[in-house]
Amino acid sequence: MSYSITVIDYGMGNIWSVLSALRYLGCNPIVSSTPSEIARAESLVLPGVGSFRKAMGTLRQTGLDQAILHAVQTDGKKILGICLGMQLMASRGSEDGDTPGLGLIPTSVDKFSPQEIGANKIPHIGFNLVRSKPDARLFRGLPEAADFYFVHSYRMLPESLSGKTATCMYGAEFLAAYERDNVYATQFHPEKSQTNGLLLLKNFLAQ
Amino acid sequence: MLKKRLIFTLLYNRGQFILSRNFRLQNVGDLEWLQINYNFSHISYSIDELIVLDVTRGERNTEAFYGTLKILTEGCFVPIAAGGGVRAIEHARALLRSGADKVVVNTPLYKNKGFISELASEFGQQCVVASMDIKCAADGSYQAWTENGSRSMVGSATEWIEMVANNAVGEIYLNSIDRDGTGQGYDLKLLDQLPPGMTKPVILAGGAGNAFHLAEGLADPRADAVATAHLFNFVGDGLKRARQSLIAGGVDLPVWDIQLLEQHLRSDDAASLS
Repeated sequence: MSYSITVIDYGMGNIWSVLSALRYLGCNPIVSSTPSEIARAESLVLPGVGSFRKAMGTLRQTGLDQAILHAVQTDGKKILGICLGMQLMASRGSEDGDTPGLGLIPTSVDKFSPQEIGANKIPHIGFNLVRSKPDARLFRGLPEAADFYFVHSYRMLPESLSGKTATCMYGAEFLAAYERDNVYATQFHPEKSQTNGLLLLKNFLAQ
Repeated sequence: MLKKRLIFTLLYNRGQFILSRNFRLQNVGDLEWLQINYNFSHISYSIDELIVLDVTRGERNTEAFYGTLKILTEGCFVPIAAGGGVRAIEHARALLRSGADKVVVNTPLYKNKGFISELASEFGQQCVVASMDIKCAADGSYQAWTENGSRSMVGSATEWIEMVANNAVGEIYLNSIDRDGTGQGYDLKLLDQLPPGMTKPVILAGGAGNAFHLAEGLADPRADAVATAHLFNFVGDGLKRARQSLIAGGVDLPVWDIQLLEQHLRSDDAASLS
């Protein structure tokens, strides 16, 4: 089965592994860094590793922010945000100074506080157990608790989010994945999470 | 609860994958050898992370290394760290564009802290793996060594680990020069050299020869991960068997079901055929 998918390249982090995972699943992903290409895309992946402020700055400068919002909110295209890509979907982030995000997920992204993580180390690096809701579309076919690879210091909290899909414990509970209508996001890296992650990506493609 | 990690380290030297013993290098085979003897796309399901280091002494052919990295990492769905002689942002970027998620640095940790900060501000500090080579002196004290283990740093290993950990690095790869490639087991005393209140994840490396050694390292709460770079001790399905025995022994490693995805992909094919 072949899916048309566009991976947004805005110069932050490793898109190679995302492409490699999508190809493994039978896709021929398109890499795009311009608003006009986003407008032509069928579905989107917003990857990324790095600083929230810097990434939002780049998205704004290039006009990719408006192109993404138009594609998702007006045209109803599905989007998957991965790691920093998920964080950028929030209303705001506090990394390197308070910065507005894309506003697709109505919450903020803040650093793990020492109170919540206790003796755990920052960044949160490694595989951790993600608990998903039984009806979560991204987690179809996966056990209710499955291991995924994380690498991050900032997180969203699951409180008051109607699209809460999956959570993870790192001292306290944080939001590991989100899905609502055509907006999907994972704080972990599915492309780095062995077959668990490949299955999740496949579920996104099949939506 | 964060899982522990089992890391495989590949050492690359001018197109060859090598065995290092106490930092003396011995060629083992090229990429083809590695594919035949490790069936890499399969073995990658037995590890939690891959580290690929270009340990070439002298002039490096970076383009050839990027190419090899791309081939190795295709179909390898775990985090990948790469390094060796990284002294410029563009070098790091090229590694990240060739399949790496993190960049491993060693000598600049001591000589060029500004470069470490630059790397972190460009790619995030989670992207920077600090590789430290540690050696035990005759009097039992531990020192950090740089430049492929050829020069010792003045001061104790603890002081240097503390200094490095306070820089913008994401994790620390502690390698024992004495145990490197010996297969005698990790030098667990390396973990005694950690400064109090260590807040960065620690990878223990150097000396693993069998699954028991890996278990021994992982059992220490101060180690977040263990690495092995020994190309012969885990050849064939050695890593797979080691992982199975670790999980059976109660080590908290991540789990995934390879069959699960295959079932889904197969049922997909069946659906598209019908």
